[in-house]
Amino acid sequence: MWFYEKKTQYPINIKKPDPRMAMNILTQYGGPNGELAASLRYLSQRFSMPTKETKAILNDIGTEELAHLEMIGTMVHQLMDKVPPKELEKLHVDTLYAVHGRAVYPSDSNGVPFTAAYIESMEDPIANLNENLAAEQKARATYDYLIRMADDPDVIDPLRFLREREVVHYQRFGEALRIVQEVMGKKKFY
Amino acid sequence: MDEQTTLLEQIMAYDFALYDLQLFLDTHPSDANALRDYKMALEQSENLRRQYQAKYGPLTPRYLPNTTCWQWINDPWPWDPKGGMNNVVL
Ligand SMILES: [Fe+2]
Repeated sequence: MWFYEKKTQYPINIKKPDPRMAMNILTQYGGPNGELAASLRYLSQRFSMPTKETKAILNDIGTEELAHLEMIGTMVHQLMDKVPPKELEKLHVDTLYAVHGRAVYPSDSNGVPFTAAYIESMEDPIANLNENLAAEQKARATYDYLIRMADDPDVIDPLRFLREREVVHYQRFGEALRIVQEVMGKKKFY
Repeated sequence: MDEQTTLLEQIMAYDFALYDLQLFLDTHPSDANALRDYKMALEQSENLRRQYQAKYGPLTPRYLPNTTCWQWINDPWPWDPKGGMNNVVL
């Protein structure tokens, strides 16, 4: 089970609201390559992992993704904080405001709600781990896009941190894949 | 039931009590009785947890036994109480 700690994994303190950037970053909350999808994907797949190493890595990366979900939510919240609705309209963030106000809701940047159809969880660990390598690369690419659009260091800094974590996760999933393939090579299967 | 499971289920019982009290205290932060119960359960849980981890290994990655190998990944995981790879046909 889990236990909450009252801190983010990396410091976030955005002083200047930027509703457009909030809308862009929102896709990492509830979009196809976002942190919620990542977390649910790994925490569901861990039940099918065959070795202690791969059970642990899926469990622990899935848990870290929850911390990233919190970081993204914090960023969206701070970027939208107390921005007047008229201002949101001028910046074309008014369609999100009309549905959710300035709340944090798991959708992509277009307001498309989160769906579990973004993820897969199969009994085949090789299929799962290959999906995860692609997922981490897609998340990394999304952070690249976001960093290119941002100009506030308070925003760029945590985005860079999150992008680096995707690179590390990609690495670990590659190792997990190798471990499973070695086990399968030793065991007779049909 | 073996000793490990018995001890783990005692920890689970105290930890559940703690969680339930936590929710109550969230909306009743100055309830002295609940606070006292929380303190008692916390001491029990910490004490049992110390015993369990010394004997059977980490419940969290923040418990580091005095060994040369990372014990956190060891079976059993809660969803595979018997451990091993028996549950998956590779
Ligand atoms: Fe990741």
